[in-house]
Amino acid sequence: MKQLGSLLWAEIIKEHRHSFHSKMIYFSLLVWPVINFVTAYYSFAPFRMGGDSPLARFISYEQLPLYLLTGYLGYIFYWCLVQSSWQMSFERQAGTMEMIFISPVNRLAFLYGRSLSSLIEGVWLFFCFVLLALFFVDGIRLSGWWAPPLAFLILLVSAIVWGGFLCVLFLFSRDASFLYTVLDEPMLIFSGVRLPPMAFPVWAKVISFCFPLTYALQLIRELLMERASLQTMLPSMGLLAAVLLVLVTATVVLLRQAEKHMKKTGNMVMY
Amino acid sequence: MLIAENVRKVYQVKEKKGWLRQQWTEVEAVADLSFRMVPGKIIGLLGINGAGKTTTIKMCSTLLTPTSGTITVDGYDAVKDDRFVKAKVNMIAGGERMLYWRLTGRENLQYFGSLYGLQGQALRNRIDSLLLQVGLYEAANTPVERYSKGMKQRLQIARGLINDPRYLFLDEPTLGLDAPIARQLRKHVSELASQHGKAILLTSHYIHEVEELCDEVYIIDKGRLVAHDTPEHLTKSLHLDTALQVVIPSLSDSLDYDLRQLAQDYGGSREIAETDEQTWEVTLRGKTDMTTPLLSLLAAHQSPVLRLSTQQPSLEDVILHMADRRGA
Ligand SMILES: Nc1ncnc2c1ncn2[C@@H]1O[C@H](COP(=O)(O)OP(=O)(O)OP(=O)(O)O)[C@@H](O)[C@H]1O
Ligand SMILES: [Mg+2]
Repeated sequence: MKQLGSLLWAEIIKEHRHSFHSKMIYFSLLVWPVINFVTAYYSFAPFRMGGDSPLARFISYEQLPLYLLTGYLGYIFYWCLVQSSWQMSFERQAGTMEMIFISPVNRLAFLYGRSLSSLIEGVWLFFCFVLLALFFVDGIRLSGWWAPPLAFLILLVSAIVWGGFLCVLFLFSRDASFLYTVLDEPMLIFSGVRLPPMAFPVWAKVISFCFPLTYALQLIRELLMERASLQTMLPSMGLLAAVLLVLVTATVVLLRQAEKHMKKTGNMVMY
Repeated sequence: MLIAENVRKVYQVKEKKGWLRQQWTEVEAVADLSFRMVPGKIIGLLGINGAGKTTTIKMCSTLLTPTSGTITVDGYDAVKDDRFVKAKVNMIAGGERMLYWRLTGRENLQYFGSLYGLQGQALRNRIDSLLLQVGLYEAANTPVERYSKGMKQRLQIARGLINDPRYLFLDEPTLGLDAPIARQLRKHVSELASQHGKAILLTSHYIHEVEELCDEVYIIDKGRLVAHDTPEHLTKSLHLDTALQVVIPSLSDSLDYDLRQLAQDYGGSREIAETDEQTWEVTLRGKTDMTTPLLSLLAAHQSPVLRLSTQQPSLEDVILHMADRRGA
């Protein structure tokens, strides 16, 4: 356990040095997500979602800021891990990936430790912003003090699992950068960051349910906006758990395959 | 002891043949190679580009699986029990890769140490002693991107020693280093074996590097072993002439005679050429080193020496020669 802590700490320092070498980082840490959030808010505002607006069936106007806030928080968590796993290709180029795989480090611990540290490095500022903003928005409906911490935990754990899975994909292929494109705009649109997936046509709903973020956001909103009790959350909880289980299993299996493949072809140094 | 037995590695290479068609071809990088590494001894793997040196090292360090053959490290199989093997081995490659450039030297070591489960005071102590050992203690808190090539290479060595490996693989460790720095590094490598009892496998393009450091040399060509011997035996049995060249300002008849005599005494040959600068270039070729008798001869004739150089047979010469001998 202490060893894990030491590995985590080393990952955090590494991540920190790699991202905090210029002040520009504050732009991507805070300014960019906040601008996104504000733009989204003002592009919805003109619709004045009255009772007859199509969206009003899913979000009440007073809850719109909260809806977008939670949406963007979830998105930033998940997107941060897309970027972090993309960094794997730099490890390949730098030859440091070989040095990781030459060591006996527990591969899963490494992947999840890496995800956690990128999260901590990548989202803390926007997270603080959201936390602060929560005091000013309307429409928070909690069934207990434990709801926000639970929502945070759900977001954190699901994001880490998601990050580990992405890392493995990048281990497998050096041409996985297409994921970067696939996961950018589509994840924003289909995961229900700005619009509820329930409002989508069927084909779009199907795509929605391919993104784990959809399930996480669903739960978080139930917790923060719908006064959900543990009991009423059970179905969504079960769904997310199932999705995460699938991701973890895929991660474990693919990880083993990826390492075997690398050892056979020697492609760990190719980029 | 590390024992490699009949190790073979075949890469499958995909070749594009037009649009959708592709063809797999096999590249045999290492063929039927066997060797042993024992504590305190340095063995050298010598070969020209593409001979299979790096592939061999990666198989020993569990980064590649051999296509056939076995590698055991203190009784553990490098494929099946790789977890145990990984704790005992490490690899250092020449060049400036394999480090995090934005991290300081110390942070790099901290990171790699934590991959081996090291932590806390024990890790800090190990890092301090390694930094001292490679002479980077003062530069420990400088980002690696500001290091010189030689410093990066030394940090690589510290990195390779972080898990206190019993078996160390060095892949062209002096690549791109200046002569004095390379010499210093060779000294360090030889101490690692003699004082710290490490078993070392060293690959190199440079025959003199291997001669200086290694207790045993394996020469490979296209993945196959062409010779295995001690460096001394190897150079002796090679029967390849070393050329000794000396430039002198004038050549008297008696000196000319004595030079011919000297070459004859040592079973070698002698060539004399007049250069453009009105000096004489004498070349003595032979299997034994004639430097000392030549210098005393010149001293006896009170002839100044303008330039003195020796030319070792090149690695290509050696390998071609070996391959010829095997073929014959
Ligand atoms: N990952 C790989 N996939 C396919 N072929 C490879 C791969 N790595 C090496 N080879 C081939 O295997 C052979 C041996 O390569 P290797 O890198 O082991 O040689 P080397 O002796 O280290 O050469 P150098 O002195 O240039 O470093 C070469 O023909 C090379 O093209
Ligand atoms: Mg090589």
